[in-house]
Amino acid sequence: MTYFSYFKAECLVLFRRKQNLVNALLFFTLVIVLFPLGVDPSKAFLAPAAGGIIWCAAALSTVISLESMFKEDYADGSLEQLLVSGLSISWLVLLKVLVHWLGMIIPLLLLTPIFSEMLFLPDGVLGVLMTTLLLGTPGLFLIGSIGASLTVSLRQGALLMLLLILPFYFPIIIFSTSAIQAVASGLPYSGLLAIISAISLLALVMSPLMTPICLRASVR
Amino acid sequence: MNWSWFHKLGSPKWFFQWSKKWAAPIFWLGVLGIIVGMIWGLAFAPKDYLQGNVFRIIYLHVPSAILAESCYLSLGIAGFVFLVWQMKMAPVFIKAMAPIGAVMAAIALFSGSIWGKPTWGTWWVWDARLTSVLVLFMLYMGIIAIQNTLDDRVLADKAAAVICVVGVINLPIIKYSVVWWNTLHQPATFSFTKKPDMPEVMWMPLLICVVSFYLFIAGLVVWRMQTEILRREHRASWLKKEVVSDGI
Repeated sequence: MTYFSYFKAECLVLFRRKQNLVNALLFFTLVIVLFPLGVDPSKAFLAPAAGGIIWCAAALSTVISLESMFKEDYADGSLEQLLVSGLSISWLVLLKVLVHWLGMIIPLLLLTPIFSEMLFLPDGVLGVLMTTLLLGTPGLFLIGSIGASLTVSLRQGALLMLLLILPFYFPIIIFSTSAIQAVASGLPYSGLLAIISAISLLALVMSPLMTPICLRASVR
Repeated sequence: MNWSWFHKLGSPKWFFQWSKKWAAPIFWLGVLGIIVGMIWGLAFAPKDYLQGNVFRIIYLHVPSAILAESCYLSLGIAGFVFLVWQMKMAPVFIKAMAPIGAVMAAIALFSGSIWGKPTWGTWWVWDARLTSVLVLFMLYMGIIAIQNTLDDRVLADKAAAVICVVGVINLPIIKYSVVWWNTLHQPATFSFTKKPDMPEVMWMPLLICVVSFYLFIAGLVVWRMQTEILRREHRASWLKKEVVSDGI
């Protein structure tokens, strides 16, 4: 096995198991629909809240989609094989996160203009919203992979993973929604984008260090 | 009344042989009807005095919206039939129909929002009709998801049938949403009790479109059911004989 063959196999698994991804996207849609139906469908409420609603939905659906990230590998024993394969497990984890991120971010970016229209996002904000998603979701996925590796041996890991991981998502969500609010009120926002990128880069450093530790602890 | 046709429907073998004869004619009749209705509606029907040419999207929007609801009703009936009589063909029908219904609901939503932009000035409002059709789309996606996620087929069939029956509750909400709530969406175009408000040259092509959408989807679903029977009964000896002797 090489890194490239692993990458190819992961892409294939993601494609064959596309229902998992579709479920996460449906969950994303349902969370978004909850806000206009549950709170207020008027433009006065939705227009300023739209960016935050989309970000919250993206964070929740990321956790849902990552929960099963290592589960099947753990169940069928291929996780052990990866650990003893002699390849660097950190790189393998990064490749896996990359595949899952690509699988999620492409449909997410395609859906975002539709939902921002449905939530009456103000004109000119969409570009920044997409940029924050593009810069922030790698952080979500990298942090999420730590949570997924922690709960890999649990039968009902989703709830525990939500409890563990969502607090770490708060900074990304806060800076993203402040960037969206800043651009809506005409303030400079490039500093906020830089902070989001910095958090994602920090996660890029931390996640490949922490995830293998949790995986090794789970596989005994 | 003779109920043998009903019992025959429960037999995959009988259905497979029957569908070989009927799927293609129904499907192509539907395609022909759609072509005729669309060309008539898009090119020859008169312009609306208020909306101009924009109204022509009705020839796509109304048939797909009607079909989205009808498909779900048929899923509900099939789910009920499966839960009560354990008929073998009912889950096959649900499996074949759910994606078609989802596509119809998606077309209805998309064409509606394209129509909404020039007439209401917005792509989307959280109006009762639009929201309930969105919920219908999510129900279809839920049925597809549960069939794809559960590996145990017996359990998947039963779970899908249960959602189909429970989801029927959404249909009267969609139907009467324009009556119960004061919404932006206009009331129903067709009804059984009175003549449409439009002139005949405008509703005739629409009626043709609706009827041929029904035929088109009936043909399509029968074809998809054939495929599903092939998948489920691939061990049966009658199927092998059938396929080997005179193809699919």
